Amino acid sequence: MNGAATIPKAPLEAAPVPRPPTKAEQRHLRLDHFPGLWLVSLVCLAFLYIPMLIVVAYSFNSGRQALIWQGFSLTWYQRVFSDASIVSATKVSLQVAVIATVASTAMAVLYVLAMNRLGRWGSAAAMALLAAPIVVPEVIMGVATLAFIRLIGLNPGFWPLVFAHTCFCFPFALMNIRARHGTLDPALFESAADLGASEATMVRRISLPLLMPGIVSGALLAFVVSMDDFMISNFLASAGSTTLPIYIFGLIRKGVSPSVNVVATLLLLLAVGVTTATTFLSRQRGAAAGRRPT
Amino acid sequence: MSAGPERGGDRAPALGWVRRRLGAGRAGPIRPGQLSAWFATPAILLGLAFTLGPMIVVAVFSLMAQPTTGTGVEMRFSTKAYEHFFMQESFTGESRFDPRYLRVFAVSAALALGVTVLCVALAFPIAVWMSTRTPRAQNMLLLAVTIPFWTNLLVRTYAWMLILAESGPANSFLAFLGVEPTQMLYTWQAAFVGLVYTFLPFAILPIYSAVAGFDFALAEAAYDLGAGKLAVLRKVIWPAASGGVVSAVALCLVPAFGSYVQPVLLGGGRLVMVGSLIASQFGEARNWPFGAALSVIILVLTLLGALALMRWTKRSAQKVTLAV
Repeated sequence: MNGAATIPKAPLEAAPVPRPPTKAEQRHLRLDHFPGLWLVSLVCLAFLYIPMLIVVAYSFNSGRQALIWQGFSLTWYQRVFSDASIVSATKVSLQVAVIATVASTAMAVLYVLAMNRLGRWGSAAAMALLAAPIVVPEVIMGVATLAFIRLIGLNPGFWPLVFAHTCFCFPFALMNIRARHGTLDPALFESAADLGASEATMVRRISLPLLMPGIVSGALLAFVVSMDDFMISNFLASAGSTTLPIYIFGLIRKGVSPSVNVVATLLLLLAVGVTTATTFLSRQRGAAAGRRPT
Repeated sequence: MSAGPERGGDRAPALGWVRRRLGAGRAGPIRPGQLSAWFATPAILLGLAFTLGPMIVVAVFSLMAQPTTGTGVEMRFSTKAYEHFFMQESFTGESRFDPRYLRVFAVSAALALGVTVLCVALAFPIAVWMSTRTPRAQNMLLLAVTIPFWTNLLVRTYAWMLILAESGPANSFLAFLGVEPTQMLYTWQAAFVGLVYTFLPFAILPIYSAVAGFDFALAEAAYDLGAGKLAVLRKVIWPAASGGVVSAVALCLVPAFGSYVQPVLLGGGRLVMVGSLIASQFGEARNWPFGAALSVIILVLTLLGALALMRWTKRSAQKVTLAV
């Protein structure tokens, strides 16, 4: 194989063929691979879900003790549905939540449609005011609203609850509607204006239909936020307007109980349903908007 | 000031003067298809009445006197509520320095800070990991993190009451390992775990949204320049995520500092945090002016924090959002 007469082999064949990288090496070579992150993430996801799954499991316990497993049954579901105080507290919560959801969503839609006319400073000031309930600790919002209600001569009860809920639900309703509004194509309105549509027609025929997924998911989130609130409601409810979270707090302050396991499972179900629905809605492309919502 | 021609002659009627005063131009030309600014007024009025109104009332009440009987305030100017925060009056009428309430603030701040640091430390690797999955997996993971976020706070706290109870799963597990069962519920550690559990999704979501759009070509450039994985995480991805990290800190720190449910239900009577202190002033203790003064102190601290945040946002040109 030596001598000047032999034609030199192609360099590719002459070079020792490199061993193909193993799967682990391939993974390591990927730019976005960082070892160990998956472990932290999976442990944290387990940390987030295992406690709730334990509650769900115990809700099917047949025994009178919350923590001693005595076999599967739906007894406690039956008892919860026929428990007069739980049912009436749920009714109050639903009434407050429905009114607050409708009111805050309607205001959020109007606000989104008008916000660009407020000017830069006007809308910054309005946003700071309207988003404040998210940042201020709930206990302070609660006592402050109580003091305010007393000062204007009202007593804690149903309507103060409704007003306060509408107020703190507003930013949550606004979030998704505003995000959706940001994806609308200005060309739609320009062509509508060129064709002689009035502002009212554009709002009715373009904005509202295209905003609808955002409006529905905003309303769902407002509903959940209202159904969940304990802290602010606690200061504003009277004996006749006990909401579900206030009633549950009273129960669990005394310790664990089988009926709370059931109510907790049902509330968890509500959160899963609403979160899944809003995620689905926010991914839906507006057919005419054409752009991917952010 | 905007020099460009302004389309749509109808200026915002309510806020036109504000704009003229501040000399601020519009962010952009007015698009057609917008309602008049009047339609924003219901929301703004609601905010003025039920957000700003209560804040002002609390500030006023904190400067009023405590009535001798009953609840509420006596309409008489007094700075007693603020003095009560630092001083204690003995029966003989002389006041001396009293660190009781300062200690409550310190305990709350320490706990909130610990919770925030742990949450962000866990959330950063999770957010980075999430952002490196396939788009489909990212959507699923995002849903998985969002569900706890929207789950009732009482339910999430209750889950830990169940786990840490005397005959609960945690103690059964210890017994299985052959360790003496201990009192776990009604300790500050229980409240700490409950707070971390509650605020972890609050930390993950903003950091994830900051990292999600990260361009891994930047990481490639760093590798080409000889950086290791850790250096890329620390020097390339972490700065890109810092806007999200600041949002996460804001979303964990303030609510954890003012939390009520977790310290009361998991921490028991021995752990007094600011939240329960304020609530008790409007409840059993019947000292509204003092409760209002405590609220004002926290509101001012929050406001200062928000201003610092705004300054930082402006200087670093990072996007910080408080909405999730």
